[in-house]
Amino acid sequence: MKKALIVIPNLLIMGFILFFIIRYANYKVADSNKNEIASFEKMTVTTNQIITNYLEDEQHLCDIWSNYINGSAQAGTPMTADEAISYIRKAKISQEIEGHLIFLDDPEKSGVSTTASITDPDVYTVSYKNINIFDNIENVSDVNDVVNLTRAYTNPTNGVQSIAFLNHVAVYDEENGEIKSGLLMRVVPLSRLEQKLVFLKGEYENVEISLVDKDGNYVVHGKSFKNSNFFEYYKSYNVASAEEYENVAKKVTGGTGTMIMKNAKGEDCVLAYTPLETMKIWFLIAYIPESDLISSRSVDWLLLGTVSIGLVSLLVFNAIVLMTYNRKLADAAQQANQANEAKSYFLSTMSHDIRTPMNAILGLNEMVLRESSEEGIKKYSESIRAAGNTLLSLINDILDFSKIEAGKMELINVDYSFVSLLNDLVNMVEKKAEDKGLSLNLDIDENIPTILNGDEIRIKQIIINILSNAVKYTKQGSVTFSAKASKIEDVPDMIKLKVSVADTGIGIKKEDLDRLFVAFERIEEKRNRNIEGTGLGMTIAQGFLAMMGSKLEVESEYGKGSVFSFEIEQKVIKWDPIGDYEEAFRRSLSERINYHEKFTAPHARVLAVDDTPVNLIVFVSLLKRTGIQIDTAESGDEGIALFVKNHYDVIFLDHMMPDKDGIETLKEMKALTDTPNDATPIICLTANAISGMREMYTNAGFDDYLTKPINVERLEMMLLQYLPKGKLAPALDEKEVDEYVLPDFLFRLKELDVNSGLNHCGNGESYMMTLKLYQDTAAKNAQEIEKYWAAGDIKNTTIKVHALKSTSRVIGALELGEFAARLEKAGDRGDVETLEKELGELISRYRNLAKELEPLSGKAEDEREDDRPFIDSGALGEFYKNLGEFCENFDFDSVVNLVESLAGYRIPDDEATRVDAIRKAVDNYDYEMIPGILSGEMG
Amino acid sequence: MKKTLRAFFSLSLAVLLLLPGCGRGEKAEKEFVPKYDTETSFSLTVAGSYGNFESLEAEFERFYEYYPNASLQYVTMDDYNNVISKALIGNEPPDIFTTTGSMVGNEKYKDMFDACEILSDPSLGIDYSCIRSSLIRTNDSGEILMLPIFTTSYGMLVNMDIFEKEGLKVPNNYGELEDVCKALKSAGYESPVMGADRFSGPGLFNCFIYPMFAYDVINSDGAADSLNSFEEGSGEIMRRSLDRLDEFVSSGGIDVQKCREEITDEYDSVIMRFFEGDVPMMLATGDIVSGTAKRESRSDAFSANPFKYRFFTAPSGDDGGYFINSISICFSVNKNSKNLDMANEFMRFLISKGELGNMAGLKRLITPVDDFSFDEVYSALADIPDDRSFSDKETGLLDPAVRQFRAAIYAVGNGKMTVDEAITAYGNIPEE
Repeated sequence: MKKALIVIPNLLIMGFILFFIIRYANYKVADSNKNEIASFEKMTVTTNQIITNYLEDEQHLCDIWSNYINGSAQAGTPMTADEAISYIRKAKISQEIEGHLIFLDDPEKSGVSTTASITDPDVYTVSYKNINIFDNIENVSDVNDVVNLTRAYTNPTNGVQSIAFLNHVAVYDEENGEIKSGLLMRVVPLSRLEQKLVFLKGEYENVEISLVDKDGNYVVHGKSFKNSNFFEYYKSYNVASAEEYENVAKKVTGGTGTMIMKNAKGEDCVLAYTPLETMKIWFLIAYIPESDLISSRSVDWLLLGTVSIGLVSLLVFNAIVLMTYNRKLADAAQQANQANEAKSYFLSTMSHDIRTPMNAILGLNEMVLRESSEEGIKKYSESIRAAGNTLLSLINDILDFSKIEAGKMELINVDYSFVSLLNDLVNMVEKKAEDKGLSLNLDIDENIPTILNGDEIRIKQIIINILSNAVKYTKQGSVTFSAKASKIEDVPDMIKLKVSVADTGIGIKKEDLDRLFVAFERIEEKRNRNIEGTGLGMTIAQGFLAMMGSKLEVESEYGKGSVFSFEIEQKVIKWDPIGDYEEAFRRSLSERINYHEKFTAPHARVLAVDDTPVNLIVFVSLLKRTGIQIDTAESGDEGIALFVKNHYDVIFLDHMMPDKDGIETLKEMKALTDTPNDATPIICLTANAISGMREMYTNAGFDDYLTKPINVERLEMMLLQYLPKGKLAPALDEKEVDEYVLPDFLFRLKELDVNSGLNHCGNGESYMMTLKLYQDTAAKNAQEIEKYWAAGDIKNTTIKVHALKSTSRVIGALELGEFAARLEKAGDRGDVETLEKELGELISRYRNLAKELEPLSGKAEDEREDDRPFIDSGALGEFYKNLGEFCENFDFDSVVNLVESLAGYRIPDDEATRVDAIRKAVDNYDYEMIPGILSGEMG
Repeated sequence: MKKTLRAFFSLSLAVLLLLPGCGRGEKAEKEFVPKYDTETSFSLTVAGSYGNFESLEAEFERFYEYYPNASLQYVTMDDYNNVISKALIGNEPPDIFTTTGSMVGNEKYKDMFDACEILSDPSLGIDYSCIRSSLIRTNDSGEILMLPIFTTSYGMLVNMDIFEKEGLKVPNNYGELEDVCKALKSAGYESPVMGADRFSGPGLFNCFIYPMFAYDVINSDGAADSLNSFEEGSGEIMRRSLDRLDEFVSSGGIDVQKCREEITDEYDSVIMRFFEGDVPMMLATGDIVSGTAKRESRSDAFSANPFKYRFFTAPSGDDGGYFINSISICFSVNKNSKNLDMANEFMRFLISKGELGNMAGLKRLITPVDDFSFDEVYSALADIPDDRSFSDKETGLLDPAVRQFRAAIYAVGNGKMTVDEAITAYGNIPEE
């Protein structure tokens, strides 16, 4: 796996987590900050109340002074300015606070102070000429408790920054004897007001409280505010349009609120503002750097940092662990690949090395079967053929499984005839089913299109596996092969092909269903041990289906049977429906009989090249009856020499040859020009039966290929395909065979030359009749010959031997006929000695032939069984003893063989029930019941 | 007397130059190193008459970088000149306060000066060598009680864009001024030179010719004393400057009537009129220049068509203009301050070429140090030769004499008197 596939998702997840943390932290901080600012604004309002209370208190004291002075005037005893000041001097408590009585109509704006000038203790006069604080004096209210206040100014008596509370008073002017109006000022050091704000420092360390008038001029000036006017200060350090400046001024003097502004350092600051209650001309401004209100982000950063480090550490750790494991996995994978390559090499080698000798074994065995006349030999040879075919099947299974496992199996889609596929399947399975007495039912949808596109070979293999299994594991009843097709919506040229195989076999236990597709697993191994197979069949079928996007479904009821089914999608090439398959099958069968058994091509010439002489013998032998002229060559060079010299209709070229292999030989042949074989098809003979071979060989230049061991039917079909049609001729007895299928065994009888017999009899029907007659009369004739010879009747003996000669020649038992002819001549000569010596052998061979022809007699098996000898009690006892021992040792193969050996004997009635029970147990694989049957404890 | 003074100042200059660490502009200025624990918490109040002192407040911020727990505040005192003495002995005395050159010798401020810390005390470590020596004021004991922070001068604001547009060079002497004025007039500028025609304050005639008159007084032995005592015939010393003024007004370089009509006060109106952008040369003082920065944004004309401007001496002399440098404000320390050490520490911090330059730059006044590079507007002053550069204290003129000279130029400039009449009437010229 690429590192990026691990790193990128991890980084994305980390990024998401960090993004979430940041967003969440920011949200919380923003919320917290909002609350902090709200709290700060509340504090400002609280401060406003405190200051207002203070100012009202001070104003109230000023009101007391003025009320007293004005009360005196109203009472008709107005106080002079000095008296008024004297009163105030006595009334005021604090030394810091002064009372000034100013007469504004005086050009000098002078008056009297309660406190002497700090520079001259004798001077109590005070002048406000140069102090501009009386611009709004007309607004001074005479109503008690209404605060009338000056801006902060410098007290002219002591130079202290102060504020003054004002009231109008009426005093007596001694100079002109009139009451005149004066302005009474309660002058309070600004520092006293500032002290009221100190308490805030505890809560907000850097808060600065300022008071400004409606024009922004400072009454109380915070440390951080530059300039003499707040709005000027705002303009100096905050970029905004004239309209925005105006809005700021309106906001600050328009009510309570909060705003953000830049200070002289360019830092963001929070400014809370509120108008002083009861006195709308002053406004309280609380200023604090925003950083003081904003929550500390150190925790957030700590959290973020910790999480980041943690996640990165985790990523690094995981990456290291993954890299370590990946390295180990890579090593393991490399080793596995090496092992797999070794396995592939082994399989490839096995494919060739086993299949090549198998070709010789099976081919020569075929010769033995054809040519041997000895029953024992034929029996052994049949066993060899069966075992060889089984072995080949196993090898093929293992090869296929290996290919699937290695992922090297490829589907090769070709156009195929579905009917042809069905034919192959039914042909392959029909015989097996028939041999087991099972009925093979077909349920083929008539509407299945004729030509489909798919991997015909693999589909066939899948179905064969299923059908073979069904037959294998079904003891009695039937196997039903069903195929249905349905259109796929929205996909115009595809069908869904549903194939199912239902049997009435032994079924599968539910707990075993999962093991069905496990390689090399065989369900109920003990019970099925005598059933051949590697346990790969279902695995391979499932593997192929998986490649086709499907799977094998199984429904089974233990003891009653199973249904295996699958669905695959196939492309339709030709929509014509196949129609009634049974009819099609019969037609196909008929066509097969036409070409399979009977064609000759005596004018055709074929070249076979193979480095193994035995293979060449097999090849020649297989085609012997076709009459084809066959040249052989044992090397590529030898083949090329013949290729140049003679014209051939077809050339078979082995692939694997020493020195110059088939492909090299082919290339040389193709490179040659002006040879008699420029257009001759060249077919590859190969022991490689692995999928994909066809492509390999056709790509190499071969016209076709044929796998070894050579299947004679395929060989003949290939020849039918490639030989010029003009050189093909039907065999002479073709018609008869058309109607009478001669039993195979006739061709395997050594004594019999079927062709000769057919020639003599004219057609298959008469030949069969002759043979049956020959067989039917054989016993009687043999007895008569023996009888005449025993009676010393040479003449009749000779006559009978003559008859034997004739009949034998007619049926094609040419050697037997010649033998009889020789003894006939001996009889004619009176050569008793010869007859004495050889007549017995003649009669024996005669009887043997008749016995071999018994299948033609039509006698029932049961009737023949009646002829079997009764087994004697001693032998039966020995049978029971051995059977018990085999069961005890779990040697069930021997049990089966032993029970089968009873087939040659008739069982006495008193033991028939026991023996039947044993046979039934064996048939049902219930070996464990046998000891009970033997001991008489039958259920 | 004058020679004695000049000899004294020359000697002072030599001594200052020879003092270790007092080389002027030729050594890298030492970085300020706090003398006290920088964590010390303290408050200082600086009192002054400026309604606004942002340049000082900027220095507070810079000082906080060394003493972050300090708290400095500028307080504007009402009726400053009358109150400062009381404040110094009051309950809440300022720690530092502003003083001016005009306070020196005035009995009214005796108590104030009595309360001043001696800033020349070497133990304080205040290195005032960076300040032009001509600006240093001492008391009778030779002690320094006040150190100049800002200075001002007389001269003219020049619209550099107009000169560039017309392909002219800023005139260096009177001859060039006449040529330039002719060229500008022909280019459509009705009054190439303008200014506030007001008697009070720094009027346009004062800005144009007073430096020449001061130069003549300084360079004429006994002239100042004669003028101060209004001796008969003493007004003769005014002749050269009055003739030049008369010549200039007569030349048409300035349309006095237009100035009177269009410039209604001697400060704000001067600046705003100049920002209209059609005045090549506006006679002004450094104080007027200090108000330009803030008014740039207030002028719609300037905002719409900003231009580059500089301050030059008025080229009234045949050889060039005269740079008369006068103190605008000084700082003194209240020796009774509750935080005297820290007040001195702040002064030690402030009195340096860099900090004073920064302050002057922000205030757009002329720095007391000899480096004019802090403000580009005043950069031209660096080119004035030493022989035409002097301080107002060197004239020795007292206020009455100065006012009579102002009355003389106002009368001559406005055509109310001839030069001869004004010279003759010196001491009795009506003052508005």
